[in-house]
Amino acid sequence: MAVDPDRVRRELEAIVGPRRVSLRAVDLDTYARDMWPRLLLARRAGAPPAALPTAVVWPETTREVAAIVRAARGLGVPIVPYGGGSGVCGGVVPRFGGITVDTKRMAALRGINADDKVCDVEAGLSGERFERELARRGYTFGNFPSSIYCSTVGGWLATRAAGQLSTKYGKVEDRVAGLTFVTGTGEVIDTDGPRRAFGGPDWTQLVLGSEGTLGIITSARLRLNPAPQLAVYRGFEVDNVAVGIEAIRRVLQRGLRPAVVRLYDELDTFVNGFGHHVDDPAARAYRHSHAPAPLPGEGALPVVPPPPPPPADDGPVGRLLALARRARSHARADAMAALLDRPGLVNRVVGAVAEKIARKGCKLIIGLEGARLRTEVEAALTFAELERAGARDLGEEPGRAWLARRYAVSYKMSGVYRDGAFVDTLEVASSWAQLADLYYSVRAAIGRHAVVMAHFSHAYPEGCSIYFTFAAHADDRAGSEARYDAIWRDGMEAATRVGGTISHHHGVGMLRAPYMAGEHREAMAILTALKLSLDPDDLMNPGKLGLAGARWRS
Amino acid sequence: MTAALTAALETIVGRDHVSPVSGQPAVLVTPASPAEVADVIRTTADAGAAIVPVGAGYRAARLRGLGERRRVHVSTERLTQVIHLDETSLLCHVQAGLTGLALEKLLAPRGLSLGDYPPGILGSSVGGLVGVRTPGKSSARHGFFEDAVAGVSAVLADGRTIHTRVAPRRSTGPDLGRALCGSEGTLGFITAAVLRIHRRPEARLLAAYILPSIDAAIAAAFLALSEECAPAGLRIVDAAEAARHFPAAGLVPGEALLVAATAGPTDLAACDRDLIASAALAEGGRDADPAIAELWWRRRTGGEPSPEPGPQLQISAAPSALRPAYHAIRAAVPGVHLHVSRFDRDGAVIFATFPDGEVGSASAAAATAATAAGGWLLGVRPTALDPYLVALRAQLDPRGVMNPGALIDAS
Repeated sequence: MAVDPDRVRRELEAIVGPRRVSLRAVDLDTYARDMWPRLLLARRAGAPPAALPTAVVWPETTREVAAIVRAARGLGVPIVPYGGGSGVCGGVVPRFGGITVDTKRMAALRGINADDKVCDVEAGLSGERFERELARRGYTFGNFPSSIYCSTVGGWLATRAAGQLSTKYGKVEDRVAGLTFVTGTGEVIDTDGPRRAFGGPDWTQLVLGSEGTLGIITSARLRLNPAPQLAVYRGFEVDNVAVGIEAIRRVLQRGLRPAVVRLYDELDTFVNGFGHHVDDPAARAYRHSHAPAPLPGEGALPVVPPPPPPPADDGPVGRLLALARRARSHARADAMAALLDRPGLVNRVVGAVAEKIARKGCKLIIGLEGARLRTEVEAALTFAELERAGARDLGEEPGRAWLARRYAVSYKMSGVYRDGAFVDTLEVASSWAQLADLYYSVRAAIGRHAVVMAHFSHAYPEGCSIYFTFAAHADDRAGSEARYDAIWRDGMEAATRVGGTISHHHGVGMLRAPYMAGEHREAMAILTALKLSLDPDDLMNPGKLGLAGARWRS
Repeated sequence: MTAALTAALETIVGRDHVSPVSGQPAVLVTPASPAEVADVIRTTADAGAAIVPVGAGYRAARLRGLGERRRVHVSTERLTQVIHLDETSLLCHVQAGLTGLALEKLLAPRGLSLGDYPPGILGSSVGGLVGVRTPGKSSARHGFFEDAVAGVSAVLADGRTIHTRVAPRRSTGPDLGRALCGSEGTLGFITAAVLRIHRRPEARLLAAYILPSIDAAIAAAFLALSEECAPAGLRIVDAAEAARHFPAAGLVPGEALLVAATAGPTDLAACDRDLIASAALAEGGRDADPAIAELWWRRRTGGEPSPEPGPQLQISAAPSALRPAYHAIRAAVPGVHLHVSRFDRDGAVIFATFPDGEVGSASAAAATAATAAGGWLLGVRPTALDPYLVALRAQLDPRGVMNPGALIDAS
């Protein structure tokens, strides 16, 4: 569909003025992608983006967003919302061009209602600034994704994000009192109101997670908790994954709500190096230059008590990569030295070695925080329940070590890509009854193509999520992409086969779009009906979330 | 009704399960399976008639605005199977016709329960509990009833059956099951749901306090909640209502009674009880006879009748609007009996009983006053979204078959 870029520019400038519209090549290139690893593979090979936006625009008010949507309607071009660009599924890729709407200039924390413990916040506010401001005023929203330094509140809401403390505070969709969003027809809608008073479906829950396909979220009323008065973190060890799963299940089903629950499988335990610190000055310098660890004394993200200095360690991804590197360069050096190109063998050998080295089994990090009295009681009950289930208390050190470097992991990836390999993460979830099946099935499916490790986090009374990290290698871009696609295809199909969900909190975007039909089956009829109701012209982020985008394919 | 449609319905569900509805152009059909529901809906739609879902709370009053359109009342009375009880994950897959109370009876011997929901609402069928968003379906410990819905099965207007898939949480688009929750049968006919259930608490502790004022009592409640206390039940009764319901408490006018139940692992239940006690003390309260709380609990769980019929008006309010709404009602209708209950982090519900005079006008006056003070009359809907609801219905049900009189008058 031919569209005149000058006309797009004129119409956008009429709405926001000349300074907040760009058609410069560097901006179009920047806004063509997010952090989806498959796009990084292409970028590493020097390939240009497969699709570019026609223009990028930075609105400052909901009214401007509505005007932009109406303009796009008149022009007949798609609209793609863009927050921090930290997504890992290609959700902001402008597949069919059009106008990319960056929300980051709508970044006000408008107010906090102390009685109702609800704040009114604009979609473009960065997660870091949001939590720092709340902490300064004695509150927390409680969402701490490892992307917190580069993701926005609106991005969280559009994808149903989860943070590291979700077991207590919930995923973001559990904490929304109301949304303001602009529909595909350019209308502004508020979904606020007490849930128990209103008849009819809960529109808030129908917009959350829509990834920009139904409209653009411009602000939200979010529930707050008082800043925690007390935080207790501990490490435990269990003989194996099954014992750990059972221990967590018992804790959650007794009505206890720890903030953090993380059970690492044997390889993840080994790679995470609990108690095995590797002092690598280069890695340390790299981490400090790339991972903005919270600095004490400047309203740091609320970590109570303040973390001790980070241990000298390259972090899990770095260690996984080191494993891969050694495997590739010293093929006979030691038992680790299976080839990354033969991941099945690596997984078996590494698994066996990891089990030998980490004879004590799997590590479990558990943390509780909140109001003083209740946290003390819940912590005592939680630790007792874990011990009854066969977990051994390792004291506070492992918990503190995890806290100290909890944001570092995402900043390790670029090094991996420079070395010609690739790393990605795949998060799935299921009920407890299916969880072991889910773990073994997905691990085996990915393990045919990549070295894979996993941890269990984000626990609920009825189930839990599993977070797989995998690393693989191929000789060129085509080979890498083929292997990458095979990993995801087999992983997603395995998850669906055993009755799990294909995504716990990263979202769908382009990456999981082909698997949405398997995920929802006949219920996709409801998603399609929602799409046609809120965005009848298929303007909003077309071709995502498993919605066809048929209008734009010709 | 046309004889042809009646005959077709009889072929599907059997002659014994189709009966005329007196005084209306309608028949009542009682299918035995979701497959029969799908056939009934397909046949009814093809005949140009309307489907009206009927659960345990069957009320003719709901059938407004349908005029002379022929309709088929589809009862879930025979859809009462527990399809699967997953005691590992604490999930119960149950058909829509089973009532909450019947389900509780099945769960109790296994040490399981639906949760802290007020027994008063559990007389409804599961289909009604899920499909209609009505007051009182929330608890501080277990959230809003919709939060308990992990999956829904429904038949759409074209006869297709959908099952939203079960996962503890997911990031794969909007929560599609939530379209059906509260849709009152307009988007699909709910045939089954997967519900999150709970283990019965190890301990339950009851306590009662007398606070110097209603404001102090409300402040005490939210003080305890802000310390993360999660009571199984919490009620504040004003002096006017307490004089009738709890005369033994001996409240003087202006005072308020606070009764609370806490539950969970023993240490946690005791912790929550102590948090409420401290909050009551901090707001100038004093201990009352625990027998008062026990009486409240027996009435709440149906063990003892209440001295008055149920409340006639219910107003929901956020924490900040609760006190203004309470005082507005009290000023508008001096003789009213009031209590505040269903506390959770979004607020609470004010229940009003009008013991004397004309209920209709008193109720209307109270509702107007409470709304002006920031309260919400239960059941209202933000009309700004009506065009989208109409559009969504048109997409899923272009012929307007599914409960056309509900939510928005389709005409």
